[in-house]
Amino acid sequence: MKRYILFASSLIVTALVMAQGAHDFKINEVSVSVPLCCQMQTEADSAAVCCDAGPVEGYRDEYGDMPSWIEIVNTSYSTHDIRSCYLTTNRAVLNKDLSAPERIEMMSLIPKGDARTNLEAKQRIVFFADGKINRGTLHTNFTLTPGEENWIALYDGNGVDLLDSLTVPVLEPGHSYARIYNKEQDAFVWIDATPDQVTPDAPNEFGENTDDKTAEWKKNDPHGVAMTIIAMGIVFGCLILLFVFFYIFGWILNRIAKLKRVQGIKQISEAGEKIVVMAKEGAETKGIEMENYVAAIGLALYEYMGNEHDVESGVLTIEHHATTWESKEHLMRHTPEIHHNH
Amino acid sequence: MLLESIGLWGFIAQKFTDFLTYTGFANVEWANIIMILIGAFFIWLAIKKDFEPLLLIPIGLGIILGNIPFKAAGLEIGLYEDNSVLNFFYQGVKLGWYPPLIFLGIGALTDFSALIANPKLMLIGAAAQFGIFGAYIIALAMGFEPNQAAGIAIIGGADGPTAIFLSSKLSPNLMGAIAVCAYSYMALVPVIQPFIMRALTTKKEKLIKMEKSREVSQTERILFPIVGLLITTFIVPSGLPLLGMLFFGNLLKESTKTTRLAKTAGSALNDIVVMLLGLTVGCSTQASEFLTLDTILIFVLGACAFMIATASGVCFVKIFNLFLPEGKKINPLIGNAGVSAVPMAARISNQEGLRADPHNYLLMHAMGPNVAGVIGSAVAAGVLLGFLS
Repeated sequence: MKRYILFASSLIVTALVMAQGAHDFKINEVSVSVPLCCQMQTEADSAAVCCDAGPVEGYRDEYGDMPSWIEIVNTSYSTHDIRSCYLTTNRAVLNKDLSAPERIEMMSLIPKGDARTNLEAKQRIVFFADGKINRGTLHTNFTLTPGEENWIALYDGNGVDLLDSLTVPVLEPGHSYARIYNKEQDAFVWIDATPDQVTPDAPNEFGENTDDKTAEWKKNDPHGVAMTIIAMGIVFGCLILLFVFFYIFGWILNRIAKLKRVQGIKQISEAGEKIVVMAKEGAETKGIEMENYVAAIGLALYEYMGNEHDVESGVLTIEHHATTWESKEHLMRHTPEIHHNH
Repeated sequence: MLLESIGLWGFIAQKFTDFLTYTGFANVEWANIIMILIGAFFIWLAIKKDFEPLLLIPIGLGIILGNIPFKAAGLEIGLYEDNSVLNFFYQGVKLGWYPPLIFLGIGALTDFSALIANPKLMLIGAAAQFGIFGAYIIALAMGFEPNQAAGIAIIGGADGPTAIFLSSKLSPNLMGAIAVCAYSYMALVPVIQPFIMRALTTKKEKLIKMEKSREVSQTERILFPIVGLLITTFIVPSGLPLLGMLFFGNLLKESTKTTRLAKTAGSALNDIVVMLLGLTVGCSTQASEFLTLDTILIFVLGACAFMIATASGVCFVKIFNLFLPEGKKINPLIGNAGVSAVPMAARISNQEGLRADPHNYLLMHAMGPNVAGVIGSAVAAGVLLGFLS
């Protein structure tokens, strides 16, 4: 039974760990492509544009195109593989009545067998939403629509567990929708990132929005005084707690030891009184009682030496045992048997 | 065919010439020679002067080994070359798993009973950590980045494994210099500390006799690593690798049921890790990385850190004595032991105590702050790691 419980516990723990790994993936930045005529092609034809803002430069895939892209980050401090997870823009997958295979049909699979999907701590991966899965692992079977809101969801490998989802508002050409750390709120928030803030496959850190601890300390504590006060406070705090614990614990143990000593003295005192009484009685009975004591001790020692005694540490006791002293059977002769001669 | 065009002897001559280009003689630079001499000096210090031979011999030879010049030809032999044996050994330093193993050994060898018997000595171990943060302030003033300053300042904890652990995480490019500096100053504790102790204490203070410590029960000894682990790691989880292994080693020792494991952790395992750690740290001090202005500054800062730590330990005891009743006062000569150079710093306390009064043995009293210093410096490292990594 214990084995089954252990096995079941291991399964649950393993499942939790796996689930925890997948839940560390978050959509980190999204960019929606602009019409082809807005995309900056070469220096020469950069003037030929259809956008008011002029030609737009953007993140290009391995074919040199500038499709929409979705950046996903592993937010944990462990390595996790995003393979077998799904990306989708189809809100129909939210229908709870759908079976897993029905949902999966509406999603774009992140294939296995590509080392790039194995994300180390805080590492990012960019998927191109160009509807061309024949172009490789990093391309999805859907596209994002410019000039409209786009809903994007990331699903776990079972096609049922939603890991993260996001509605991208209408973005200006060249902008992206980025998840950044806001220090004041101590939380991640989404912002409309301007072209100079777009960071595909790089941390979304610009201006004040950085979690670089060293830079923060350098800026706010250039002389190290705050660090010294905080750190020394913590070091003292730890050791003071240890001091208090062992001071109190030592005091309690000392008190217990003292109490034991007092009890011991009391026992010795009582035993001393008994000896006085025994000696007095012995004197009064002219040693008759004393002889009995000596006999009892002698018997106990005799039996102890003959291994006929039970042993208790440091104490001689007399266990009830049939001996010649008390057994009448041993003291009497057997009745002779009468044999009848036929 | 090459052989046909230049002939057998020509071929042999060409290959021999090639071979010569691979030798150390063909690739040597002055910086390599200087580093080899430094390595030899460390070995001399260890053997002739008996300065921390268990550490300085592996480090000294490591310095020589790491500075043997060779042609980079993908032979997979250098410390920093992938797949080389030395690189494999170096992973323990780079990834920081040697220091916790050393802490396991320290825990298995350390008797915390002096500290448990007189817990107020723990505060001295905390006070001496001012050395770390004093050096941190000076390093920042010298222009080091906060993470580099923290890596350098931890030298003030006088704890080699902690210094390596923290610098490998916060300032890996300075780790070689920091490690060599930390171990050098640990070896130089008998030179650095006594004059500070003498200067900061009066004759009357030096003669203070401390009351005999009470006996510590087995229950307290077993409880110490468990409670210590819980308190320190709940407050500073980033110190978990060092503190966890320190208290684990101590529990192995004190439980009395795992004597065999404690013995291994404190002897064979510890020795193996010390050898590999010393050798690879020495190897990592390649001339191009080591012979820089930063290294000189690190040595200056290391000296400052040690001196501040010693002075703050002694001064803390003097201030603490103002609040203690007569008969319960602490001899300030054990204040230096708050740095965690175990047991060297405690020996210095004893030596200075005997110098003032030939009947005043301070060794057991000094062991209290000394082992508290180990905990204190590990906590300080955890705090710095938590704030700056």
